[in-house]
Amino acid sequence: MSRMEKIRIDDLSFAYGKRTILNRVEARFMENTITAITGPSGQGKSSFLMVLNRLWETIPGAHVTGRVNIRFDGEFRDIHHRSMPLTRLRRTVGMVFQTPNPLPMSVAGNVAFPLKLAGTGKRKNTEERVEKALSRVHLWDEVKDRLKDDARKLSGGQQQRLCMARALVFEPEILLLDEPASSLDAKAAAGIEDLMLELKNTCTLIVVSHSMDQVRRTADRVLTLESGELHGCESS
Amino acid sequence: MKPFFFISAVISACVSVCIVLFMIILGLPLFREGLFFSMLTSPWNPSNGVFGLYPMIIGTLGISSLALVFGFPLSLGTAALISGLAPKPLAAVLRKTVQAMTGIPTVVYGFIGVFLLVPLIRNLAGEGSGMCILSSALLLSVLISPTMILTFSDTFDQVPVKTRMAATALGATPVQTFLWVVLPASKKGLVTGLILGMGRAMGDTLIALMISGNAIAVPDSLFSPARTLTAHIALVIASDFDSPEFKTLFACGLVLYGFTALSTLAVRAIDTVFRSES
Repeated sequence: MSRMEKIRIDDLSFAYGKRTILNRVEARFMENTITAITGPSGQGKSSFLMVLNRLWETIPGAHVTGRVNIRFDGEFRDIHHRSMPLTRLRRTVGMVFQTPNPLPMSVAGNVAFPLKLAGTGKRKNTEERVEKALSRVHLWDEVKDRLKDDARKLSGGQQQRLCMARALVFEPEILLLDEPASSLDAKAAAGIEDLMLELKNTCTLIVVSHSMDQVRRTADRVLTLESGELHGCESS
Repeated sequence: MKPFFFISAVISACVSVCIVLFMIILGLPLFREGLFFSMLTSPWNPSNGVFGLYPMIIGTLGISSLALVFGFPLSLGTAALISGLAPKPLAAVLRKTVQAMTGIPTVVYGFIGVFLLVPLIRNLAGEGSGMCILSSALLLSVLISPTMILTFSDTFDQVPVKTRMAATALGATPVQTFLWVVLPASKKGLVTGLILGMGRAMGDTLIALMISGNAIAVPDSLFSPARTLTAHIALVIASDFDSPEFKTLFACGLVLYGFTALSTLAVRAIDTVFRSES
């Protein structure tokens, strides 16, 4: 099956103050693939993900140059161009962080939060989409009787799957996962891996991971980030 | 260091208990004569030998509640700007300004009120002196705001960065993040700030004394003058020690202490509720 490019990165540099994290990075990401990004700690793997949804803009002293183009509706658009609506970008490029970060609200409230932000919150429709998102991450059966409970009372694995459901409720075209299984036990981690493989059918996934076993099991391609440079762009 | 803190805590607690005991002992004649509770519901009418505190209690609650109504949105907005909505340099200037406001003597606020606010309110009302509940509450709201702003912004700052970032990553604007994530996570701090503000408003003497008009009557509008319990203490303290007027001071003190104690208990109760929820 021939896949189309989803993300084009050209001459991308990223710095905190005077410290260069990414140095003139060039990369291409194909749609419906899983790309793993590995490398030593502190080399900017998480920062790389944060560039792709412009979350880096919330970091004081951070600075980006170069171009990141993402294909929206068949057309590549520079995500840093002023015509690019930030809310649309972040709904299209979902992100799940290393440690679960449920919002201080109910289980259902967490998953419905992006819908609330978008103002697409007809109650029945919201309930259906919440159920669908929770089912996709295999969490629905575990929480269907606790939807109004505080999400912070769930276990770590459940919280992480909840965060994935929250990221999936808008059906993003790209999903950025920052070591999504690092804080989970083996069973929960395996569940996340299965989910990643399932999501590949509808999403382009970029996954930061330190687990080479996980990378071997899930990734179509492995990139290594070291000394600000991204190596190993070949397909596996 | 631990014994030092222990001794400090014991001394603080003893002083507090001594103040209550002092007021109860000096106010004993009021209890013996069964006057204390009737004072709480009677008007102040010395010519008929009635020395009730009802108008002052209503004045205190009215002015301090209204000050909270004005001060709460002002404080909430300023704290939101300080804790993330304003650009960093502006937030730093705002924080320093608010911190500086806590050190301004109350009498300075009073003077500003007398010369700027009172004429404005007088023109607005079209009658009276302008020394009224509204003037007093507006100025008190400015006085209590720094207490609330600093409490609120400290609470907002405690919301984890990862929580804010999660909302941002989902497409929330800074204002949406504040309204739907930071505010709900800060309920306890908001209530604590409100109660501290209420306590500060009820305990203030000079603003009420200088610009609320000090009339001993139950106010019937925002433009009516009123007297607060603290202002009443300041005005009556010069009277003869054995006079019935002077005895009302102990009742005033006990009522104020009661309000403060209720505020503290409310903070504790809220703390317990939020602890059990989290």
